[in-house]
Amino acid sequence: MIDLSGKAAIAGVFESPRRDAPRVHPFALQMECILGALDDAGLTLKDVDGLCAASGDWAEGGSTMDVVELAEYIGIAPTYVNSTDVGGCSYILQAGQAAAAIATGLAEVVVISYAACPRWWPLSSPSFDPFVFPAGPGQYEIPYAPTLISTYGLFARRHMDLYGTTPEQLAQVAVTFREHAAKNPDARLRKPITVDDVLASPMIASPLHRLDCCVVTDGGGAVVMTSRERARDLKKPPVHLVGYGAAVARTQNSQIPDDLTTPAALSGPRAFAMAGLTPGEIDVAQIYDAFTITPMLALEDLGFCGRGESGAFVADGNLTLGGSLPTNTDGGGLSSNHPGKRGIFTLIESVRQLRGEGPGVQVPDARIALAHGLGGTFCSAATAILAR
Amino acid sequence: MTAMTIPPVQDETSAPFWDAAREGRFLIQRCPETGRFQWYPRAHSIHAPHARPEWVQASGRGELLTYSVVHRGNQRGDPYVCALIRLEEGVTVFSRVEGVDEADLRAGLPLVVAFHQLDETTSLPVFRPRTSA
Repeated sequence: MIDLSGKAAIAGVFESPRRDAPRVHPFALQMECILGALDDAGLTLKDVDGLCAASGDWAEGGSTMDVVELAEYIGIAPTYVNSTDVGGCSYILQAGQAAAAIATGLAEVVVISYAACPRWWPLSSPSFDPFVFPAGPGQYEIPYAPTLISTYGLFARRHMDLYGTTPEQLAQVAVTFREHAAKNPDARLRKPITVDDVLASPMIASPLHRLDCCVVTDGGGAVVMTSRERARDLKKPPVHLVGYGAAVARTQNSQIPDDLTTPAALSGPRAFAMAGLTPGEIDVAQIYDAFTITPMLALEDLGFCGRGESGAFVADGNLTLGGSLPTNTDGGGLSSNHPGKRGIFTLIESVRQLRGEGPGVQVPDARIALAHGLGGTFCSAATAILAR
Repeated sequence: MTAMTIPPVQDETSAPFWDAAREGRFLIQRCPETGRFQWYPRAHSIHAPHARPEWVQASGRGELLTYSVVHRGNQRGDPYVCALIRLEEGVTVFSRVEGVDEADLRAGLPLVVAFHQLDETTSLPVFRPRTSA
């Protein structure tokens, strides 16, 4: 097998500062981000021969041939495309597969692109969404009207029962990331909050309160990847993809494992093995935070703390700027932005941290970053380890 | 409780399950080769993929594994309880729990299946507290 570690690099990134984009089609937002990321790299659309997208879900503007629709809209004819959609972490998975495409010569410059506009999108959800379609496996669950948040609630409640995790510990996740967002001028929510604020916010789906939940914003971002050799001479210092792993597990609630193990327990070790690194060597982490329970389970499955210990790990301040694992330095999905599949922002903020360009809090001299995401309700996971 | 209004799309594989549910019986599947149960129903056994699973009537008894009370979400209306229930047969199903105050919900609560008639063709299994073993 080809050793992928360090073969490809991220040469350019761009995150749209928009959080509200009324009547902007997501493809138009993607084009803004793609041009921004190419400019960041010192490249142009003419250099692009690979395109990755996952734009077929609600408020993303595309349908089943999303990557073809997007290529047409942009005005390019890439030789390599990937529209694998495993939910919010799709763009991390696509970064790993883009590295493979680059290493094997299928493509030289690959753009990974994402945007969604849920705040104004006028059309209903496509009927092929497994979370809304009461046919096949879904016929045994959708009739009960589960909500996405209530499924996270199932995980959070069981974590509390098994390990004694408290609502205060969950709330501390939101409080910590809000501290980071307070420094990020683009973040949706910047006013500092307390644990009491979280617990006093309305219950959405127990045990998760409103402030345990991510913001809903419009937004987008793009990442440009190329070979290690080509990245060396571009505008910005390259950030190398040194570790990558992905895993899929389940979609139906009935298949949730008793001990709450998520596919991060597979994607993480795969990424660390490729990188030849251990969790203790990560300087800064961006971990998908759709809800406060989301990064907590990831911290356990990725090996940053033991099973059931994430509540104490968070409460002890490990995720803060001075902590052992500064996390979601831009404010994350809980405070900065969350259009629906925010995995791409974990890559973008990782690159900014390694370059010293963090818009929120900046970890001094960060050399190794971890970007981790999940899809759906812990249905899938993808992990990337990036290094200067 | 918020009404359940989304009917399941029944198909060739699931028809026996919904037929039985209409008669107040909760079926699960068993692998003819390994004897192991599976949930949710499929056209094949996940334990022996070339085997066709057989239907068996479950005890209908189980216990609450975890739950979430939906206060605000896609459905407007009174709060309702989404839950995972571990059946005595060892499989976990997703359903609603009814007839329990939120304060009395706890992991391990003994439950038994009940049926909600949605329309002429469909009864949905839900779970209620079990008072005696």
